[in-house]
Amino acid sequence: MTYAMNRELLTARSNLYALLSRLLLQELDASLLQTLRSDTSMLEFFPNLSTWEPFNRLKISELLDTHFNPDFSNLSLLHLIPYESFYMRDDQMVETGGANPVTDMYSQYDFVVDYDVARVVSADHIGVELEFMHHLVEAQAKAQESDDAQAVTALIEAQHTFLNKHLLQWAPHYLIAAKYEASTPLYHDACDMALEFLLSDNETLTSATIA
Amino acid sequence: MYLESRRTFLKGAAFSVAGVAIAKGVFSTQAQAQEGVESKFTTTPKTLSFYPPLEQWDSFQELDGDDWKRGGIDRKGTSLESDDGILVHDYMIVPTACSNCEASCGLTAWIDKKTMVVKKYMGNPLHTASRGRNCAKGYATQSQMYDPDRIPFPLKRAEGSKRGEGKWVRTTWDEALSTIGKKMHDTIAKGDELSRKMVMYHVGRPNENGFTPMVWNTLGVDSYNSHTNICSANGRTPTIQWANDDRTSPDWANAKLIFLNSSHAADAGHYFQQSAGFIADARKKGAKLVVMDPRMSNSAGMADLWIAAWPGTEPVVYLYLVNRILSEGQVNREFVRRWVNWEVMMDNKKFLNKLVELGYIKSVPTKNDFDTFLAVLQELYSPYTLDYASQETHIPKDRLEALYDMFIWAGTAVSTYFWRATAAGNRGGWMSGRAGYLALALRGAIGPEGGTFFHHWHVISVAGKGGRATVGQGNVKKVDVWNELTWPPEWPLSTYEMSYLLPHLLTDKAWQDKWKARGLNVPTKLAVYAPRMYNPVWINPDGFRWLDVLKDEEKMELTFNLSPTWSETNWYVDYVLPVGLAGERHDQHSEATYPARWTSFRQPVLRVALEKSGWRAKNPIRATLEAHIKAGLGEVWEENEFWIDLVVNYVDKDGSLGIKQHWESKKHPGKPVTIAEWYDAAFGDNLPNLRKTAYANPKYKDAEYPVYEYMRDHGTWTEEENIYSAQERPLKEDAEGNYVTHGHKYPKAETTTNKRTGVITAHAHGKATPIGIEVDGKKMEGFATLDKKLDFFVEWLFEDWKWQEYSIPFYPRNEKEKEKMVHIVSHVNHKYMTEVNEQGEKNAFALNTVFRLPYNIHTRSANSKHLMEISQNHDPIWIATGDAKRLGFKRGDAIRVRIKDSVSGLDSGYFVAMAVPTEGVLPGTLACSHHGGRWKLTNSIDIPNGVQDNPVQYQKAPKDLSNPDFINEAVENSGAQAQHTPHFGGKLGVIGFGAPLASIEMDGKVGKLKYLEGLKPMKPWQFAEYNKDYDNVWWDGLSGSWQNAVAPAHPDPVSGMHCWHQKVLLEPAQPGDKIGDIHVNYENNFKTYQAWRDQLTRGLDENSTIRRPRHIKRPWVSLSDKAYAVKISK
Repeated sequence: MTYAMNRELLTARSNLYALLSRLLLQELDASLLQTLRSDTSMLEFFPNLSTWEPFNRLKISELLDTHFNPDFSNLSLLHLIPYESFYMRDDQMVETGGANPVTDMYSQYDFVVDYDVARVVSADHIGVELEFMHHLVEAQAKAQESDDAQAVTALIEAQHTFLNKHLLQWAPHYLIAAKYEASTPLYHDACDMALEFLLSDNETLTSATIA
Repeated sequence: MYLESRRTFLKGAAFSVAGVAIAKGVFSTQAQAQEGVESKFTTTPKTLSFYPPLEQWDSFQELDGDDWKRGGIDRKGTSLESDDGILVHDYMIVPTACSNCEASCGLTAWIDKKTMVVKKYMGNPLHTASRGRNCAKGYATQSQMYDPDRIPFPLKRAEGSKRGEGKWVRTTWDEALSTIGKKMHDTIAKGDELSRKMVMYHVGRPNENGFTPMVWNTLGVDSYNSHTNICSANGRTPTIQWANDDRTSPDWANAKLIFLNSSHAADAGHYFQQSAGFIADARKKGAKLVVMDPRMSNSAGMADLWIAAWPGTEPVVYLYLVNRILSEGQVNREFVRRWVNWEVMMDNKKFLNKLVELGYIKSVPTKNDFDTFLAVLQELYSPYTLDYASQETHIPKDRLEALYDMFIWAGTAVSTYFWRATAAGNRGGWMSGRAGYLALALRGAIGPEGGTFFHHWHVISVAGKGGRATVGQGNVKKVDVWNELTWPPEWPLSTYEMSYLLPHLLTDKAWQDKWKARGLNVPTKLAVYAPRMYNPVWINPDGFRWLDVLKDEEKMELTFNLSPTWSETNWYVDYVLPVGLAGERHDQHSEATYPARWTSFRQPVLRVALEKSGWRAKNPIRATLEAHIKAGLGEVWEENEFWIDLVVNYVDKDGSLGIKQHWESKKHPGKPVTIAEWYDAAFGDNLPNLRKTAYANPKYKDAEYPVYEYMRDHGTWTEEENIYSAQERPLKEDAEGNYVTHGHKYPKAETTTNKRTGVITAHAHGKATPIGIEVDGKKMEGFATLDKKLDFFVEWLFEDWKWQEYSIPFYPRNEKEKEKMVHIVSHVNHKYMTEVNEQGEKNAFALNTVFRLPYNIHTRSANSKHLMEISQNHDPIWIATGDAKRLGFKRGDAIRVRIKDSVSGLDSGYFVAMAVPTEGVLPGTLACSHHGGRWKLTNSIDIPNGVQDNPVQYQKAPKDLSNPDFINEAVENSGAQAQHTPHFGGKLGVIGFGAPLASIEMDGKVGKLKYLEGLKPMKPWQFAEYNKDYDNVWWDGLSGSWQNAVAPAHPDPVSGMHCWHQKVLLEPAQPGDKIGDIHVNYENNFKTYQAWRDQLTRGLDENSTIRRPRHIKRPWVSLSDKAYAVKISK
């Protein structure tokens, strides 16, 4: 039975996956940081950041160079490993080749990771997986607009499967660690939000598939 | 519960920006991914071997590696699009060649056009031998170039001070040239025999092929001195005897067996970076690697077989192979019959009788055919059994057998050499090569692909042949004096000069008087002494004697060192004249590193970049000096231009000495020949394939100097490849009925052919010259020996030069023969290791000193901070674990290593070193490289007439190759009174990254050195940005002990090699001893030199008519018959 999500929910889910994927994939750039500073709706997800005094006082470049980007490097390059295979394989090796299980699902949807853009070593980076979810949600929205019930069902199931088979298997470990390792409220809040959102969205998708 | 606390994520729907705009967009569809977008700059290279194509070398853009760390171009873009983008450099890439060892690997300097700074040195992919690769020393050229302590302008000993007092003033190139030129002129102008032995040049690493020798040839003096006899004479002597060639040239890459005698090629030694690559290629194809060395070197550690022979017993290993090859029917009969001089030996009845007399064979053979020759050999070498070999060499039998199996398995593809530990270490070390070549020859492994061949076929020597560009047209007279200081009468067969005995001979009045009384005109002092790229005080044995002589202004009247950096020697000379490093000088430099003829062209890269951008020097013969001033490198010059300017404008200004013509430009009479003129002629006239290529290239064919400009842009050339068995090349004949060989024509009618030996001899001007050989009806060039074959039997050594018993490969077969044949028994043979300590423990060891360190060759790379940082291991004493345990030494213990000579029996003193017990050294032997132990006597020097004397801001326009104002700005008065180093503050650092502070005491008999403190680099006043990490120096700089100063001179009686190994006794350090301390009895060392000279040599005497065999090489300058002639009274 087809369960069509309401438009508002779909937009929210798409936007949140997009935002989280962008935050956890690469360092912030000036443009996104400016958006974050000016978008009160977005800022509501970052309760500690919004009340952090330097956030509104320092110049964008200063925030990036001295606070956020070093923190990001620490969380995703130096001390923590945001790759699924690191958590899932017994030998803790990051699978950088085509044998990475996550690429099977990408391929089903004709997707290929552009590494020059992603600047990651493997397709199972948390930012990439979150962006994949964003694309699935967008596809679901298009299917709903076209009243393609079969596609909507398939896409919801795909999201549920991907979430359970991949992201939820490991991302919480990473996010909890990153949350406590973070030295800026931006990444602390982002990790906290991502953790809650993934669990919440799993409930949403579970309800949708049961329904 | 979690569910109760979660937020309302529906808020996400209210974002002002849609998710699609926020997402990075890391996915593309399969179809999109395949399209790809080509970008000039990429985040990852397509291949690790990428190198800019030659056509882009004049302008190649590359992202800055450091700036990339800000986030890469995907985040920032490049500086071509925005101010915040990742910095893009616009480079001019100029080729040159490394100068940190002898290999001459190709380098390219990457010059940032905006700053005129060499941002990095990389390999030169056009170089067919180094193939774009370099070792650590190559890349370190940059840190040498921007060494804050490098000498920025000419320095002169302060008036009124003594040598070694450390008082210096800044002088000008003009003043230095005037003073030196006048002294040279006044000495040479006397015209008498003695004066032409008194202006001496002393080169360390030549790293060029003939330019400076030609300078000395044109000066008409016999005073070109070189370091070679402390380096490789014993490696060259066997090659001279076998093939009249200078050294081996193995074909590593195609060998099946790579047999390294000492760990030189693959570790750190001769041509190591190139050799190591070729050896790796061969191993990839299945070749085996055997290393014979008492020390388990890096190569030995990765070899298929490591055999640790007792030092000096290596000939026995080869003769064991020879015995088995002969007795097991493994001789390559065709090769031996055709190319070994068996006929000469079998026809010399006197020699055959001598063999019987010596007990080598039972009776003189009745026949003289080839099979009889082989039978004689079989009898001769039958005593070298497995039992005997194992007993004498201390090598386990199974290793010797494994070696034999590999040797036979490899067929004719055995590549080897005879350098370092075996050769340079041991008295008679040359016999190792003599025996080794025999094993190779019997298998036919000399010359073919994968085999071992000889140097002269694989090298290009044209640097001295630019004479066409001069008024004199290269018609340089031979020198007709003979210098006894470099070629003393005791060593007529010395491979190169007896350079390390210079201070001994200058102070040995008894020796001087003896030979003067017998009719030789022996110099007792030098008017001028000029080392170059050389640190004789530190590197030679008996360093304190060098100090004594250098300090003596009566023995050495005027001294100057052409040196880019401070050194132990510089401290004691009158002038230190800064000349350039690898990227700051011109040299044609070629080496035999694979079976081809290639050359590098070393260049002053900043000058080349300036000239290619339109700049022209105000004074063409000082173009390199002007360019370096302009680029901010300092008043740093190069030797080629220095010598030309010196000769033309100072030594022989009016041409009356006949020297000037050879360096005066034909194109611009009255002016010195320029670099472009000289090298265009030198390359163009002697390398036909290069000339053809340059003239066929549209870019160069209409250039003013086509061949020079081709070399300037490429930095390297390979004239010929795949040079195998070149002795079989047909003897050339021209249409006029002449044989043509080595640039000479010989009318056929005036030649004869020996029916027995096949030697073709030309008869002209009363001389008989062997020019070729006929074998099996084919006329060929043959080898460079008198009989044009490989000389198993060296007839001239037997007949004329007093070494009858050593005219064939041999090693004493028993203790009795060892006593008699002491000349070819190592002075560190186990028979001499007799001493015990107070506890009755065996306590005499053979110290192996002769191995290089991969990061630091002698003293040249001393202050490269990158090399210094990786070379801090204090150069320990390797000692076998059993020996260490027996004597109670633990890792890190300081021990006194006392040198005791086995000829004189005298004690030379000791050095204190750090013990490292290891399984990687043959028990009874020790290892400690003699490349350690640098020192200095001060951390900095005050130069009183520094910047305060009228500093001139000589270049106003910012350094930028694309700025016409910069290009057009001239450098005024490059050698004169202008102050070209405006930032200099009056204090010069001394080896701040590389040598600790020491104190010296010496009294003519005893010398001591003690280290006082570690490194304290001075805050850089030049190249400050490059050296902003100067205060991060964590190492103390102690690179071991200056053991060379403790070592007495050990002149090999035949080759003249200084035999580096030492017999030593070990003692625990005493209270107050520190690692690095030395205590030398150099009075005893003098007696040891005399003992080796008087007890071992067989020199010239009243029966001698010539100084040395005429046909073997007398390096550097060409000597007349008059110079060779000698008359000695009783």
